[in-house]
Amino acid sequence: MTAFLFIVIGAPSDARIVTDQLGRQVTVSDKPRRVVSLAPNITEIIYALGQENLLKGVTLYSDFPPAAVSLPKVGSYVQLNLEKIVALKPDLCIAIKDGNPRVVARRLESLNIPVYAVDPKNLETVMQTVLEIGNLLNANQRADFLVQRMRSRVLKVKSLVAKAAYRPRVFFQIGICPIVSVGTDTFIHELIELAGGKNLAQGPLAYPRFSREQVLVLSPEILIITSMARAAVFEKVKAEWSRWPNMPAIRDRRIFLEDSNFFDRPTPRLVDGLELLVKLIHPELFDETQ
Amino acid sequence: MKPKTPLLLKRLSVISLSLLLVLLIAMFLGISMGSTTSGIKVVFQSLFKAKESDPMLDTIIWQIRFPRVLLATLVGAALSLGGLVFQALLRNPLAEPYILGISGGSAIGAIIGILIGFSKFPGVSLTAFAGSIAILLLILVMSSGQTILKKDALLLSGVMVNAFCAAVIMFLVSMTQDSRLHNIIFWLMGDLSMVDIGHVGILAAILCPCFILIFWFSNSMNLLLMGKEMAQTMGVNIKTVTVILLVATSFMVSATVSYCGLVGFVGLVVPHLLRLVFGPDHRVLVPACVLGGGAYLVFCDILARVLPEQGEMPAGVITAMIGAPLFIFLLKKTRR
Amino acid sequence: MAIHVKNLNYYYGDFPALKNITFSVATGNFFIIIGPNGSGKTTLLKVVAGILKSQTDQLEILNRPVDHYSRKALARAIAFVPQMIPVDFPFSVTEIVLMGRSPYLGMLGLEQEKDLEIAKQALIFTGVDHLAHRKLDQLSGGEQQRVFVAKAICQEPEIILLDEPTASLDLAHQVRLMDLMEKLKNERGITVVMVSHDVNLAAMYGDRLLLLNKGEIVRLGDPKEVLTFQTLEQVYGCTLLVDESPLGKTPRVTPVPRKYMNIDRQEE
Repeated sequence: MTAFLFIVIGAPSDARIVTDQLGRQVTVSDKPRRVVSLAPNITEIIYALGQENLLKGVTLYSDFPPAAVSLPKVGSYVQLNLEKIVALKPDLCIAIKDGNPRVVARRLESLNIPVYAVDPKNLETVMQTVLEIGNLLNANQRADFLVQRMRSRVLKVKSLVAKAAYRPRVFFQIGICPIVSVGTDTFIHELIELAGGKNLAQGPLAYPRFSREQVLVLSPEILIITSMARAAVFEKVKAEWSRWPNMPAIRDRRIFLEDSNFFDRPTPRLVDGLELLVKLIHPELFDETQ
Repeated sequence: MKPKTPLLLKRLSVISLSLLLVLLIAMFLGISMGSTTSGIKVVFQSLFKAKESDPMLDTIIWQIRFPRVLLATLVGAALSLGGLVFQALLRNPLAEPYILGISGGSAIGAIIGILIGFSKFPGVSLTAFAGSIAILLLILVMSSGQTILKKDALLLSGVMVNAFCAAVIMFLVSMTQDSRLHNIIFWLMGDLSMVDIGHVGILAAILCPCFILIFWFSNSMNLLLMGKEMAQTMGVNIKTVTVILLVATSFMVSATVSYCGLVGFVGLVVPHLLRLVFGPDHRVLVPACVLGGGAYLVFCDILARVLPEQGEMPAGVITAMIGAPLFIFLLKKTRR
Repeated sequence: MAIHVKNLNYYYGDFPALKNITFSVATGNFFIIIGPNGSGKTTLLKVVAGILKSQTDQLEILNRPVDHYSRKALARAIAFVPQMIPVDFPFSVTEIVLMGRSPYLGMLGLEQEKDLEIAKQALIFTGVDHLAHRKLDQLSGGEQQRVFVAKAICQEPEIILLDEPTASLDLAHQVRLMDLMEKLKNERGITVVMVSHDVNLAAMYGDRLLLLNKGEIVRLGDPKEVLTFQTLEQVYGCTLLVDESPLGKTPRVTPVPRKYMNIDRQEE
């Protein structure tokens, strides 16, 4: 057993103890050489930090950046394949609280593979996650830079939105059948509010369901639809909604299809999503400035 | 005193030994195959602690695959035996281990456990077990007053309760949000992954006494097939035997299902397969189900792990896809 | 006394199927219970067999109250041959006959040489030994019946109970079975108690007959005493002709079709 530990982690003196986002103490190597990412957003962050050479395995649907697709797969983030992970001989696994089965993390640790868990819940904690992963992978400088950029872009949006006179009512549809929107405890809600809109589905339920009637009663002025669906499906959905021309969003032709990955993956691309949203919600602010 | 006749014992030994061999081969294959390539040579090296053995592969073989193969053996044994006993008790060839509401009750219990946020063990397992026992008691109470259709009262109650539970399950599932939904669906399809050797030990400690107890009553099961009245005239204490078998089997199946969800079809097809090959004597069928059922599920689990490109299929899919044609083939062959 | 019954009552729920039944069966007797449908014949047989438990007892088997017997002990004293062969009973003839040994064996019923020998003898006695390895469903009705008789013989009982054994048999097999019972009685001293709907067979073979109607005893005695046309017509509610069988001194009962009704009923 000790021999195994030696081979996997490296000389014990090169290790440090860190605290992950769930408050767990994790012993990691100072210089991790073989990292496995247990969620698509973590993969993105590692690439954004320029540390993809350390990355030996990713989960299915790790599709950004496109280069990640060619990496070995270890299952989906909700159904991880323990055998494949172990076969990659990782010295660090980075996991996400929301989705990764706890039992897998426990098994990995019982096999002496350190598991660092993150739990990004909003923009702030996403930035924190970037910093922490940067720290783990010895890319602190790059991490700082990334986070600074993110912060300044967010501030810019905030100041822009401050000038807006009015908060349009936004219905953000993430599920087509049944109709599902987003509650207060989601990234999307935060982004909508930051972008100067009013999330009609806000409330304690994270993914509330609506009947078509309920949506009509809410009378959204902007309807944003995201899903992993293709454009053809969007046209059908748009046609469905168009049967109610009295809805402001239909009347004013403010119904949009957007790529969900900008809005529900806790990565730096959330800021891209934010900027997208501002353009959709307050186009008037962009006529004046650039 | 003449030695015991070789008639039954000889058959029993021959059949048990051959099935044991099959099981051992299955287990060996089970630990040599998986979603990463290993090969048989590697397993040998690992077994005999050769110097060339790779510790990473050792880990995969012994810490990941071996517990899973053991679990598949136990689960296959328990479910096959459960099907056999219920087919004898209810005198119905369509009986399977989940028939007395065990699937419905345990599923509801498991879903409640998952929704509360328990981890698989011990939380969800306990709620699943509690659910199945509760539903079983309900069915026993429901069918206790029946004098008409005595034989089928239990069966019918079980079928109705399972149907009701299925509706409740669909309702609960439709109300769940994303990630927890995944856990529920895996459980409903039967989940042999993420096995802990300690848990397997606990399950073995629970199941083995049940196997032995059921074997003890195997001759009684033969006599029961004559019908309750006739069996009584042969000296069988119907009430006692029925209750003991019912309780032991339900307990055995509930414990199994609580740990790994609803692995389907094994309990229906394996007893029939073995009966076609080895005949209807339960004294032979009970050990055959334990060994043969275990081997069968290990084989199916190997395929479930190895066939799909990504991820794994639920073992219950393979048991059906293989079991059904195999059974029809054997049926045709023996019809002469 | 092989069987002694006193003041036996049996209720199906509220319905009284047997009322105040009292009779005895002597050891080695061929005792046949007859009566119309619904008279309680089968119920009575099942109570004696221990399958049904009567609410008021005094049932003695071999001079001991039936309560004093364990299930297995009772199975060693009494063997039961059912009217209907169990459906979907997949065992072979030998396996079935060997089951007859289970009252003498342990839980697992592991048979020894001696048991195999007894089974073989039973098969020979009933004339089905040439079918030893066949499955039950491959046999004719008569052969199946005899397999179950062989099984009963294996129980080495003092008493054999049979529930309408000739009901679904053809003429040849009817007689064959009755002869077999007589052989059992004569050669092995087994008491045979049978429920029969066939009054004539009962007359030819029975030492004593018990005539039941609506759960009550109408007559008990030898065939000549029981099978009088007054008694039978009252019980069966139809016109009957009772004379003496040309084969022996036993009564012969013939139901009278309508077209013969105007002829005198009793010829001297």
